[in-house]
Amino acid sequence: MIQVSGLTRRYGAVAAVSALSFRVQEGEIVGFLGPNGAGKTTTMNMLTGCLRPTAGSVTLGGFDIETDADQARKMIGYLPENPPLYPDMTVEEYLGFVYQLKKCTMPRDTHLEQVCTMAGLTDVRGRLIRNLSKGYRQRVGLAQALIGDPQVLILDEPTVGLDPKQIIEIREVIRSLGRQHTVILSSHILSEVQAVCDRVLVIDHGKIVADGTPSELSARMEGAEQLDMTIEGAPELVLPALRAVPGVATAVVVTEDGKKSVYRITAESDADIRRAVFDALSQNHMAILSMQQVALSLEDIFLQLTGAESAEAAPEPAEAKEPSKKKKRRLFGRKRGDDK
Amino acid sequence: MNAICKRDLQGFFRSPLGYVYAGAFLAIMNLYFFASCILSSSSDVGSVFSNMLIVFLFLMPILTMRLFSEEYKQGTDKLLLTAPVSVWDIVGGKFLAVLGVLLCALLCTVPWLIIIIIFGTPAWGTIIGCYLAVICASAVFASMGMFLSSLTESQLIAAVLSFALFLGLYIVDMLSYSLGTDSLLGTLLSWLSIFTRYDTFMSGQFSLGNLIYFLSLTGLFLYLTARVIERRRM
Repeated sequence: MIQVSGLTRRYGAVAAVSALSFRVQEGEIVGFLGPNGAGKTTTMNMLTGCLRPTAGSVTLGGFDIETDADQARKMIGYLPENPPLYPDMTVEEYLGFVYQLKKCTMPRDTHLEQVCTMAGLTDVRGRLIRNLSKGYRQRVGLAQALIGDPQVLILDEPTVGLDPKQIIEIREVIRSLGRQHTVILSSHILSEVQAVCDRVLVIDHGKIVADGTPSELSARMEGAEQLDMTIEGAPELVLPALRAVPGVATAVVVTEDGKKSVYRITAESDADIRRAVFDALSQNHMAILSMQQVALSLEDIFLQLTGAESAEAAPEPAEAKEPSKKKKRRLFGRKRGDDK
Repeated sequence: MNAICKRDLQGFFRSPLGYVYAGAFLAIMNLYFFASCILSSSSDVGSVFSNMLIVFLFLMPILTMRLFSEEYKQGTDKLLLTAPVSVWDIVGGKFLAVLGVLLCALLCTVPWLIIIIIFGTPAWGTIIGCYLAVICASAVFASMGMFLSSLTESQLIAAVLSFALFLGLYIVDMLSYSLGTDSLLGTLLSWLSIFTRYDTFMSGQFSLGNLIYFLSLTGLFLYLTARVIERRRM
């Protein structure tokens, strides 16, 4: 349905989006996930033909957005980051204008009625857009995108500014739309993407860093496992032993306390290292006093994926550990004082 | 084109802008009419109309400044750009909306004609020439103002730029007067001047050359505007 290849947009020397390629099947709900400034909005503007790509092409249902612009545009409903509303019109007038602008052929009144019901606007149809709250404006923006029953819906952060109840409603609407429409939405809220989308594209610095269903991403999340272990023995001996275990990416001392120390061990992705660590330590006669799996949340995965680009991801946690180590040491020190 | 024209025309009259514009225009023009026709018992509206373009020169930027700048600012240009309409629909619709407001304002001057018919002897040639001239010349100004508005997100910048452009054109016209028609530059400037052509048009002399001049100048700026919008879009 949507085919994007080599999409690039440069602003001077800065590449906001670089060589993005992906395909979206009909009826799929795809979520763009990424931190602020990742290039989500730029990508969406290019998908809808608002912004000319520096390079690359976008094809919607077989129509190139550049050469068959009119055909391609007829298939799109777009809700930009800031809903494109005229504050001096009433909701009714505005939707009527959009209906005319999109050259719709379906019966006007019933269609507008239907759209208003979907977006939950039936109560405010006669009100001036100027006087609507942010949440209602967002809904009018969504209604505008729905007019003409387009096959492709592109929604840039559709739930921004809505209250929790409205968020749930709008998500419900999007999910029901996904049965007949192809939907691309962007968000920086992970739970939202997880709740609504069939597929997630994680974008960072204008590139796709992960692509998969939410469950695939969570599988990846379980793979990149971390262990907190308390091990008997001197850290100088234990650390080399831990680092020698195949599948261990990093091992650091969290707290050091003479005979037994607490370590944090990070596995390489897709590896379960618990058995290997156990074997290695028992061979060296180092007793495991405790072992606990640290579950990585989707937030962590997200941070890991989007932070990996800066390449400083590895030293950063080590730095972060330092102060906590000192703090804990002081904590233990005080305890010892109490014992006396 | 229809939808955009209708929306913009309504937009002028939904905000106080359209009324303020028409009000200011009519107040000034009626004063002129009163001074030059009623007080001096003359049925020659030519002098009123020759001043009308100067009034348009001041008022036109107010009308055209918002056309595109406001859309950019509100983000509504995205709605227009993603709609299955051509660039010409957008540009044409907006241009017709401005022209509509101008015609509304001109329509309000019809009572002058009634007064002249009752109390004087109307020279129909001049009157029709005057109306045609003012419509043509203001269409040129409108297209120029719209072009400048399509360049910037700020209404204020659009207004100041168009005002500077119109005033510059007026000064060029004065320059051509003071240079006279003996020098080549003077001839060239008076040939190019909107105001000189406006005056000949208004005197009741219909000239196809003048009409084509006004139409092509309007067309040129509409084309430039369309190019600007095209560049923003795909």
